[in-house]
Amino acid sequence: MNHDPYSWGRPSDETYGQYSDAIAHAPSFPKMNTQQPIVTGTSVISMKYNNGVIIAADHLGSYGSLLRFTDIERLFPVGKNTVVGISGDISDMQHIEALLEELETENNYDNSHADDEESLQPSYVFEYLATVMYQRRSKMNPLWNALIVAGVEDSKPFLKYVNLLGVTYSSPTLATGFGAHLAVPLLRRVVDRESDVEKTDMQTATDTILQAMKVLYYRDARSSRKFSMAIIDNDQGLVFNKELEVENMKWNFAKDIKGYGTQKV
Amino acid sequence: MAGLSFDNYQRNAFLASKTHSNLPKATSTGTTIVGVKFHNGVVIAADTRSTQGPIVADKNCAKLHRISPRIWCAGAGTAADTEAVTQLIGSNVELHSLYAKRQPRVVTALQMLKQHLFKYQGHIGAYLIVAGTDPTGAHLFSVQAHGSTDVGFYLSLGSGSLAAMAVLESNWKEDLSKEEAIKLASDAIQAGIWNDLGSGSNVDLCVMETGKDAEYLRNYITPNVREAKQKSYKFERGTTAVLKEKIIDICEVEEEQVLVV
Amino acid sequence: MKSCSGKTVPPPPLPLEHPSAMSQPIEHQFNPYSDNGGTILGIAGEDFAVLAGDTRHTTDYSINSRSESKVFDVGDGIVISANGFAADSTALVKRFRNSLKWYHFNENEKRLSLSAAARNIQHLLYGKRFFPYYVHTIIAGLDEEGKGAVYSFDPVGSYEREQCRAGGAAASLIMPFLDNQVNFKNQYVPGTGEKRPITYLSVEEVVKLVRDSFTSATERHIHVGDGLEILIVTKDGVRREYHELKRD
Repeated sequence: MNHDPYSWGRPSDETYGQYSDAIAHAPSFPKMNTQQPIVTGTSVISMKYNNGVIIAADHLGSYGSLLRFTDIERLFPVGKNTVVGISGDISDMQHIEALLEELETENNYDNSHADDEESLQPSYVFEYLATVMYQRRSKMNPLWNALIVAGVEDSKPFLKYVNLLGVTYSSPTLATGFGAHLAVPLLRRVVDRESDVEKTDMQTATDTILQAMKVLYYRDARSSRKFSMAIIDNDQGLVFNKELEVENMKWNFAKDIKGYGTQKV
Repeated sequence: MAGLSFDNYQRNAFLASKTHSNLPKATSTGTTIVGVKFHNGVVIAADTRSTQGPIVADKNCAKLHRISPRIWCAGAGTAADTEAVTQLIGSNVELHSLYAKRQPRVVTALQMLKQHLFKYQGHIGAYLIVAGTDPTGAHLFSVQAHGSTDVGFYLSLGSGSLAAMAVLESNWKEDLSKEEAIKLASDAIQAGIWNDLGSGSNVDLCVMETGKDAEYLRNYITPNVREAKQKSYKFERGTTAVLKEKIIDICEVEEEQVLVV
Repeated sequence: MKSCSGKTVPPPPLPLEHPSAMSQPIEHQFNPYSDNGGTILGIAGEDFAVLAGDTRHTTDYSINSRSESKVFDVGDGIVISANGFAADSTALVKRFRNSLKWYHFNENEKRLSLSAAARNIQHLLYGKRFFPYYVHTIIAGLDEEGKGAVYSFDPVGSYEREQCRAGGAAASLIMPFLDNQVNFKNQYVPGTGEKRPITYLSVEEVVKLVRDSFTSATERHIHVGDGLEILIVTKDGVRREYHELKRD
């Protein structure tokens, strides 16, 4: 019998070997999977209009302040009437891309109704992604992204946001990252409340998104000139343009700015 | 370090980290201010919300300050600092103009501001848009708390600066008229008012045209008037309990009969 | 350092001149919570109860949405709102809805009483005692006698039945107003020195108080505004009212 009170209630050394008290010195969180974003994509911006939604994102993959990858697609069509736009960590984005492909494959497999009654709808895709994002944050192992799910469901525009915390919200105009500060004020000048959606046609919405992408290119240091824009229209279906560039910029006045105060040349 | 003593800096930083009590918090870091040049002048504008954390401290404060009659300044950052630094430089600009027997110049105010702010290494939290007219024309500058300055045809500062800049970048063009510049500046401030939680209430504006007196337009736009309350909260007289009553004579009254002869 | 029992003793505290005592290294750790603003308010009347919330959804100085509901009619004459960290709020309401569904399934569609709902929510919250749902939860409805009832919870499940309760960002602005106007705190009957007796307020009167509470909170709290959604529970069911709030 071992008479040392410290050993009472513990597995006996004879049977289980020396008792390890390592667990008592473990850090407060048992496992820290927490990363930090490495290669990143900047804003995704989007808005509703009277017959669908528009979503846009540029092609840059930044490595800190290094302009690392210049041809990364961050808009992903899922099914026939959904597009997911992803900002944040690019490797996590590619993982989500794999999840979405799996989701689509699973839905199609052995399903003769996959093209109609049982086709993936924007709200299903969103619910799935939001659940994944919240579960990962709850495991303290987040996917370092902010996503926007855009689409048309029951002939009505669908637009919803979820981020690495699992926080979700919906609004007639949505943007992630820098876009929330620079683009949303411009988009809200056109569509501020749900009732404004009815008054906005596709052309107006397209012009607004293009304008916002230009301002982002002017003012977001981690943005690029090339970008993609997807329109999910209730009648035309998915119109996906991957070859866009910011155009008609104003630079003429710049030559007249000299120095930073009193300089004249 | 000549002139300034940083002897207690480390001690203060240590005490601040040890005591969980927060040091007094200054008002207003959130603001939207802009400046826009037009063909023969310059306009500056500001919102009128002042905050302490998430609480609105003042719903209609004035963020446009006069440095001299034709040089005005919009301030973001610590309210006390923008006010104090603006008054100090305003006084010195006036003394300088008296000494030089010349109209005050915007570059003079700018140089005094940046030298003063640089000396204080950013501890004076003033972020200013300085604008005005003088014999050399119309000018528009910004100054940061650390003392750096910037020139531009359109500028914005404060927590709502991104919302405001988005509007400026979209709608600015060369050779604006006075009316167009006023519209652009007030639209930019409104972008801050509606989209930035640190900004709100009304638009203040100041137009400075070369060779003319500055026009200060306090509450140029008031898009946030509060609706009438649903109910009156007037209490019936006597609702508040009188727990104790005590009357103190604050002077002694002496009465005496005076015989009038 | 070993004591007689063989346990290791923690090292003595760092001397003050040690660099880490002077300045902390920049911490980069994932924070699983955020504050999404907004405020909620529940008031119980004699034969009704209301639960109201604004529709502004924020992070820091940004408005994410001007039209995000956070008060929900979950059926059985129960309305619920969890205000604070929006992802936890969504998760909690979802779990409560699920719990209600299982209750109906297991108990032959029996109506869940408000008191039972409250106890169930306590367990949902306390179940995450060491990784809490960062929310202030309020439910409202009618009790077993048909009287209006409001229950409010702290983030880990401590709860209480109350006549009225404000939660969320502007709770500290609204609650004293409610104490005075609903429970007549600090009010006396003129000329008598007697406290003003508590009486039930009508629905109309309560809705007026709710609207004035929210317009006032909107004036002075940056995280409150845009829209006000009021759910009113009576024996006839749940009614919804919507009013615009200032958007600045």
